[in-house]
Amino acid sequence: MDAPLELVWGALRLDAAAFRSLLVAAPAAGVGLTVVYLAGLSLAVGQSVVLFAERVSPRRFAATLVVQAVLFLASFVAYALAVWWVARVGFDAARPLRDVVAVVGLAHAPQLLGFLILTPYLGGPLQSLLSAWTLLATVVAAAAVFDLGAAQALACSAGGWVVAQLLQRTLGVPLVRAGQRVRAWVAGIEMASATRRAR
Amino acid sequence: MPLLDPGTLALVALAALLLAGALSPLETLGWWAGWYGDPVDERALDPACGSADESDEASPERTPEADAGTEVGRGEAGAVSPAASPWVVYLTGIQAVGPVSYADADRRLLARLADAVPSGRVVEVFPYSVTNRALTGERTFARVWRWALRAKLDHRRLLQVAGFLINLRNLWQVLVSADRRYGPFYSRGSAELIVRSLRRRGYPLEPGPYAPRIVLVGYSGGAQVAAGAAPFVRQRTHAEVTVVSLGGVLAADPGLLAADRVWHLYGTADRIHRWTSWMFPGRWRLLPWSPWNVARHRGRLREVAISPCDHTGVDGYLDEQAHVRDGRSYFEVTLDVLAAIARGDDEPLPVAA
Repeated sequence: MDAPLELVWGALRLDAAAFRSLLVAAPAAGVGLTVVYLAGLSLAVGQSVVLFAERVSPRRFAATLVVQAVLFLASFVAYALAVWWVARVGFDAARPLRDVVAVVGLAHAPQLLGFLILTPYLGGPLQSLLSAWTLLATVVAAAAVFDLGAAQALACSAGGWVVAQLLQRTLGVPLVRAGQRVRAWVAGIEMASATRRAR
Repeated sequence: MPLLDPGTLALVALAALLLAGALSPLETLGWWAGWYGDPVDERALDPACGSADESDEASPERTPEADAGTEVGRGEAGAVSPAASPWVVYLTGIQAVGPVSYADADRRLLARLADAVPSGRVVEVFPYSVTNRALTGERTFARVWRWALRAKLDHRRLLQVAGFLINLRNLWQVLVSADRRYGPFYSRGSAELIVRSLRRRGYPLEPGPYAPRIVLVGYSGGAQVAAGAAPFVRQRTHAEVTVVSLGGVLAADPGLLAADRVWHLYGTADRIHRWTSWMFPGRWRLLPWSPWNVARHRGRLREVAISPCDHTGVDGYLDEQAHVRDGRSYFEVTLDVLAAIARGDDEPLPVAA
């Protein structure tokens, strides 16, 4: 199991072997980052109603999706870094950062279906389902890469999320704001107020 | 792995269903964003705007039969009806492919309704496309829909199942209308089509105290579209708007609160009516603050069992062979009730004895 599609299929099935196979594949981090980028693109499509509501042109629409995917990738890197740090400090489990990026990235495979959030009436429940599915995949991935038990892997995943959130709300604030400005500039609208109006 | 492994087939069917669902809002969203279709006619829905848009020619991308609405049971549009005359707008069920019903029962109902309300007008509008394009008209997948329609009208059961694709496509549009993310856009588009259709038939849009009453009759999924469009139609026409849901597949749409009256008519054997009352949580009695329950408590929404009929087909609302105890057919009961509501002669409704 080392073709990217097989790895993604394995991650969707929460198969720990898929994550272990990835670590022996040559461009492991590249596969993980590609999955995250495509997942970000798919999620951006799923959450694009605000762009339609603001009557963004097709060209700006496509460019905004790409920007949102890049921003998603950036927030993922912060998350992977946080998981790596929590495992190292909390459980004395040391692995190279690129391995963590690879497997936690692959664990975002369920978000490749993020475009399904567009589905009328079922979009909300589907979004929750994809989030839960991604969390489970991340736990399996953390257990595989750090050789931890399920409870410890869950603590790593959840702890990493908390640390990443803290980072975004403190040291990362200038970066987050810069990202929002770029997105608003590309879309030609103020995203935050547009989201409020769409609701 | 065998080619026809049932598990694989089920997975593929589920994936196709979800993909169709994810794509279903794009027509509405693309229209709203101005990517295709007629531009959004802000003036047609602006209550402050008195004059109507006069450039109401059929768009070249529409087929003639797909133009906004058709009038039933009358020839050319004549003089404006008296103020008290009702204008009935019929929004058909999810089997439809365009603004003109192909179903004989639908056509008979509309013709008889026009006769039963001689002072009024009956207009038909296709409720499942805000761009007002028939599925069989100029669309990318028009061939598929033409094939599905032929299959639906075929007498062979297997092919009729293929025709169910049309119902599925339109059901997703009903859910687009019911979704709080897309509903406001969809409902504005539907209202625009309804107002445009009324105007073409001579409905007086100038503000005044005698705006003819409008009765939006939605059969099955058409009821959701009617409820969603009601506030925008009311704003634009300044008329009293009544929504009639005939076996309606409808959510607790906020539009229910804007309508002057809402009748939810159902048959006691209508399973679709029962399922949809569970499918949309806003209709549960547990949620007294939902628009459905608020409208009910205010006395604006009334649920009335009209006969022991089912949702469609044999023993359905429009079945002329099955009869109730007072001798009328299910069709006649449905017709009598709709005509009574249209005339405003609705206390009591002539439901089955």
